[in-house]
Amino acid sequence: MPLNRRSFLRTSALAGAVLSGAPYIRAATPARKLRTALIGSGWWGKNILKEAMASGRCQTVALADVDATALEVAADQVNALSGDTPKIYQDYRELLAREKPDIAIIATPDHWHALNTIAALRAGAHVFVEKPTGHTVNESRAMLKAARESGRVSQIGLHRRIGPHHVSGMNFLKSGAVGEVGMVRLFAHGGGDVEKPAPNETPPAGLDWNLWCGPAPLRPFNKRIHPGGWRNYLDYANGQLGDWGVHWLDQVLWWSGEKYPKRIFCAGGRPVRGPAVLNDKEQTSDAPDHQVATYEFEKFTCVWEHRRFADNNSEKHKIGAYFYGTKGVLHIGWRDGWTFYPAAKSGKIEHGNAQLQEPDGHNLALLWADFMESIDQRRTPIAGIELAHRASVLPLLGMVSWRVGRSIAWDAATEQISGDPEANQLLSRPYRTPWVYPTA
Amino acid sequence: MLLRKSFLAAVIRHLTGPALAWLFTSVQAADWPQWRGPQRNGISEEKDWLDQWPAAGPKIAWTAKVGLGPSSFVIGGGRAFTLGHADGKDTVFCFEAATGKSLWKHSYAAELGDKFFEGGTTGTPTLAGERLYVLSRWGDAFCFEAASGKIVWNINVQKQTGIRVPDWGFTGAPLVLGRRLILNIGESGVALDPATGAVLWQSADKNAGYSTPLPVARAGRTLVLMGSSQSYLAVNPEDGKEAWRVRWVTEYGVNAADPIVSGDRLFISSGYGKGAGLFRLGTSEPEELWKIRTLRTQLNAAILIDGHLYGVDGDTTSLGALKCLDLASGTEKWAHKDFRTGAVSGADGRLIALSGTGTLLIAPASPAQFKPTASAKILDGKCWTAPVLANGLIYCRTTSGDVAVIDVRKK
Repeated sequence: MPLNRRSFLRTSALAGAVLSGAPYIRAATPARKLRTALIGSGWWGKNILKEAMASGRCQTVALADVDATALEVAADQVNALSGDTPKIYQDYRELLAREKPDIAIIATPDHWHALNTIAALRAGAHVFVEKPTGHTVNESRAMLKAARESGRVSQIGLHRRIGPHHVSGMNFLKSGAVGEVGMVRLFAHGGGDVEKPAPNETPPAGLDWNLWCGPAPLRPFNKRIHPGGWRNYLDYANGQLGDWGVHWLDQVLWWSGEKYPKRIFCAGGRPVRGPAVLNDKEQTSDAPDHQVATYEFEKFTCVWEHRRFADNNSEKHKIGAYFYGTKGVLHIGWRDGWTFYPAAKSGKIEHGNAQLQEPDGHNLALLWADFMESIDQRRTPIAGIELAHRASVLPLLGMVSWRVGRSIAWDAATEQISGDPEANQLLSRPYRTPWVYPTA
Repeated sequence: MLLRKSFLAAVIRHLTGPALAWLFTSVQAADWPQWRGPQRNGISEEKDWLDQWPAAGPKIAWTAKVGLGPSSFVIGGGRAFTLGHADGKDTVFCFEAATGKSLWKHSYAAELGDKFFEGGTTGTPTLAGERLYVLSRWGDAFCFEAASGKIVWNINVQKQTGIRVPDWGFTGAPLVLGRRLILNIGESGVALDPATGAVLWQSADKNAGYSTPLPVARAGRTLVLMGSSQSYLAVNPEDGKEAWRVRWVTEYGVNAADPIVSGDRLFISSGYGKGAGLFRLGTSEPEELWKIRTLRTQLNAAILIDGHLYGVDGDTTSLGALKCLDLASGTEKWAHKDFRTGAVSGADGRLIALSGTGTLLIAPASPAQFKPTASAKILDGKCWTAPVLANGLIYCRTTSGDVAVIDVRKK
């Protein structure tokens, strides 16, 4: 792409620049705080950064994003919220080299998590990175290794580990009130229809599309991908299973104490969205519009299902986990909190309300506070990389099974798929030059 | 009553200042033929209407369902028009303005476009004489006979010009300005021949903003102002040449609220935490006078009454507040909280405010306080559309397409 050279020059010119313009008047910030940088300065990254700013303990020193416009907007918003004037970088490597932040928040699309995280840890930063850890299993393993070697704190954005109704729902579940649980069903349903291809375009001015794609395949730019749509493109993420699936599968690990499933089978496709399209002129997304994945654990079976069509009110809940026990069914959900449906006719429905930060319905403030405390105390955070690695691997293994079209047996000791070289190949993927796949 | 188009074209080329304002009022006084009303300032010409109603609530003249989208109403010639989306199609609705009787409709295939919201039509038709102009989010432009719904012409401007569709689709209403139909498409607009739909000029293939082109006559010439993806800018309507721009970078390129011009002052505002700015218009680039963060109009522009701005601060994801600010200084006068992302229009020194959750409020437009004389919950669901007062009726809708028309005529 002719874009490469020009965008490199632009990046260099922009590196380290502080956005000028009429400053908005604010009270001065107090001195020594944790020097915090954000890599991936879009909607979610800024949600995390807002918690850093709200904590009063962080100074936003730098922002990175491949989209210069997003950077300008983010720098302006940071200034409005905190009075800080962060330096801006289109290339995260330059940010890390020049700023040496105490904390790096990483909220890029999934395909960037591994390289961003490993580089940030090696630059000496504590890392708060979004889930899932990696885009393929071996990226996640390399991240885990780098985290162990760094001695830094790594918090992964699994805020459902600390969300109040998840904690109270989990306490209810672990109290034995649900009885013996033999099966778990996880799900995230929503509406959708046939997908028509959208025209490819030249990337908007200021967006370094080559760097956005980074180690992943360079698809033609399409506004359906950026901003906000990349989760449905398997080059950059893993669809619903790789998004909602991580949260709910993590809840299963949290509840059960089991560390991994023995066997995984996943089926799904795009019967409603239609065949994936990708040509010079136009493209569609390519993530499955529905998937069903079965995870066979030692003591129970767990089923994941998502559907992005036929949105209706035929079911009580659209998102969450059903724990099926001998005493009843516990649903842990999102905005609907948790609800216990007793098996006994004389039993009483019990309920715990959700306590979320709106408008986006998360609990990042609690997770950020835990991150700060973990840094202070040099302890493992509540959503540390060890457990987040195990949770992230589950949807990624689901995707491997879906791709090869057969069940796979997971050997957790070696983190290999037993007796299936083809499936094992899919634990990694080729990187685009000059990027190098990280090794564990 | 209505000027013939050729005469209109001849007149408009020679008009400036107050004379141009006269032109926009030359349709029936109480009509609301275009986005933000006859003067494009969000203020109705209506006088002598009911600003109070009984405890039981106002009289509902009629209701309707028009499908998904926050498209507003235009009213003229006894007809009311709006747009909505359902089942893979947008529909243009023509109602009898007083009764809601369906006069005609026209549907065309369109995507839902539900990026970060429920989707549906976001633009508003424009009534100019006996013609109704419609621009869809995806570039389908129509000219209808307003009376019959017969298509005079129809082109897809996106395909015709090759200009990209911005993230939420084309949203600004068409502006009829003499021999030009100006659309907020591309970096700084596209002009079509209103008679045929032929492209007269087009701007660069960059993301458009979401405001409606606003004609402003000053210093002997008329310029058209619009929000682009990274600026508010002004172009010469004759040839599309840019006259000036104010760099104004808003998240996702959402420069949606129309600019407000008062004398030589230019007020612009956008959401996502961006804020507002006041500029002095001169002969070249506008000069910044102040910037504030206390009025962030994400969707609908504020209205200006007697030197005070009344508008909604906050995004659709926030609790929002209806606010009053002094234009000269930017000082906040009052804030009516939890208004959500509703919208406000004005008439005869009063505010007509529809909260984001469907409560209609009437209050004197006063910097001293917000003290409604009437209030009623008239709709359930999200309301992102400014209420429209025309001929004694206030047209309100939800984004899901429930329409409630409130009768405020004095008998």
